[in-house]
Amino acid sequence: MSVRQNGEIINNNLLYNDYYKVDFYAPEITKNAKAGQFIHLKIAKLEDRILRRPFSICNVSNDGTLTILYKVVGKGTEHLSKLKKCDVCDIMGPLGNPYSPPLDDEIPVVIAGGYGAASTYLLLHNSQQKGYLLLGGRSKDDLILVDEYKKTGSTVLTSTNDGSYGHKGLVTELIPDVLAKNKGKKLRFYACGPMGMLMAVGQQLLKEGFDAELSLDHLMCCGVGACFACVIKVKANNEDGWRYARTCSEGPIFKASEVYYG
Amino acid sequence: MANLTTNLNTENHPFNEKLILKNPVMPASGTFGYGVEYAEYFKLEKLGAVVVKGIAPFASHGNPTPRVAEVTSGMLNAIGLQGPGIDKFLKGEEYLPFLKQQNCPIIVNIWGKTVEDYVEVAERLNEEADALTAIEINISCPNVKEGGVAFGTDEKLAYTVISKVRAATNIPLITKLSPNVTKIAPFAQVAEDAGSNMISLINTIPGMAIDIKTRKPKIANLTGGLSGPAIKPIAVRMVNEAYNAVKIPIIGMGGIMTGDDAIEFFLAGASAIGVGTAIFADPMAPINIIDGIDKFLDSEGFGNISDIIGQMGK
Repeated sequence: MSVRQNGEIINNNLLYNDYYKVDFYAPEITKNAKAGQFIHLKIAKLEDRILRRPFSICNVSNDGTLTILYKVVGKGTEHLSKLKKCDVCDIMGPLGNPYSPPLDDEIPVVIAGGYGAASTYLLLHNSQQKGYLLLGGRSKDDLILVDEYKKTGSTVLTSTNDGSYGHKGLVTELIPDVLAKNKGKKLRFYACGPMGMLMAVGQQLLKEGFDAELSLDHLMCCGVGACFACVIKVKANNEDGWRYARTCSEGPIFKASEVYYG
Repeated sequence: MANLTTNLNTENHPFNEKLILKNPVMPASGTFGYGVEYAEYFKLEKLGAVVVKGIAPFASHGNPTPRVAEVTSGMLNAIGLQGPGIDKFLKGEEYLPFLKQQNCPIIVNIWGKTVEDYVEVAERLNEEADALTAIEINISCPNVKEGGVAFGTDEKLAYTVISKVRAATNIPLITKLSPNVTKIAPFAQVAEDAGSNMISLINTIPGMAIDIKTRKPKIANLTGGLSGPAIKPIAVRMVNEAYNAVKIPIIGMGGIMTGDDAIEFFLAGASAIGVGTAIFADPMAPINIIDGIDKFLDSEGFGNISDIIGQMGK
């Protein structure tokens, strides 16, 4: 059940580099929110930009605090970064389908790129089983929430394209080690990050005989499945072998085995 | 509380209570999915009518992505009429069967690549004639290569498609006009002459936006239809020009965000209005607009919405 409510800003702070963390007081939304879902935010006082912006739900608390992380990438997020405590934003949420949590005998393995790590935090935080976070970025500055993930008891492995932190290379190159160390154990995979990374993760895991839950999105407009803007290709029983699925309402979580890679 | 009852009947073609709506506010086709998507936010029966996304005889993928781009005071879209096709629309539980349980008038927007496609959808909709308030003939989508706006920018083609649909069904007809013509009045007259019972306008206006860093268009289709507050003055002008040209009722739309915006359209000559892009900004927009219209009429001393239709002074 999603709702629309006004959320007052409790904190809106620079974490590091261009990454910010904002806490809203939005109890109607937090009470139903699950890992993998998102909110659709109307950024206050952004008068000549009329559309909402989607953000992964990073964390929720029993006291009604809703946390999202964002990077300043355009006019909307730049404006958001200037909002202060007590400013109020109109929020829709929680929207979309959540990740399915790991079963008691499954080890969760999260593969995240950049601020994709925001979408999976609650999953490992709430998991009974200690899991893995494989986190990749272009450089050290893109690796967010490392300490927070470590506090969940998860093993954190990192990669950077420039070698400034952890393994030098792609995050997908961290997967074989995890597979080798956990032979015979039940693993459950999740991934969130840039589209190219998700396509690579999905195909690599399928080749290894695993499925994964991928958090996919595309330029979003309505957030509820009405406008058909945010579609991606998924497999379908028609002559083309694919159809466009709405990432907002049919996703954002899709199984790697459902995605059409053509 | 002013009386918002909206009568879309004309003397020549009375449909009586079928075309009497409780208020003049409806979503613009394509911005409200098939209704079910917004049913969590408000009861659909609060709307004057629900207008569904375009239905063709066939299922359709729509355009490649990216399909939307935000621009100053509006947006571009080139969704390209992705849709389930008439079979699924009539039978699928999240489509017409859902809407029929919502106690709201239902308007079905139809499109096709050929005249025969339009006729086929209209004939299929006859199976549900009692459940439908109207069919809206989309001859104005700027984002599909075949059909769509090709019919809406040629008077002869427009007449052919409207009159053939008219012959295929007794369901009230709305023709959705394209703003992408030099003069709107002749197209409004063509719609009236061909047997359309109402017209709706405007559809979106083709535009383009370019990402200056990648030097690529922001929409995969290159162009997309501009909507939102940016186009409202164009829409008000065209509604007024159409109002001066025809007797059939007009459903006005284009950038309406508030009740006050809607009032401009009524003064220009619209009998009802469509809310589109505003719904993306706020799912409650149609409800807030109904309230805003009511408040305006109360504060200005008008008892009925019909008191202000076409009442722009000179």
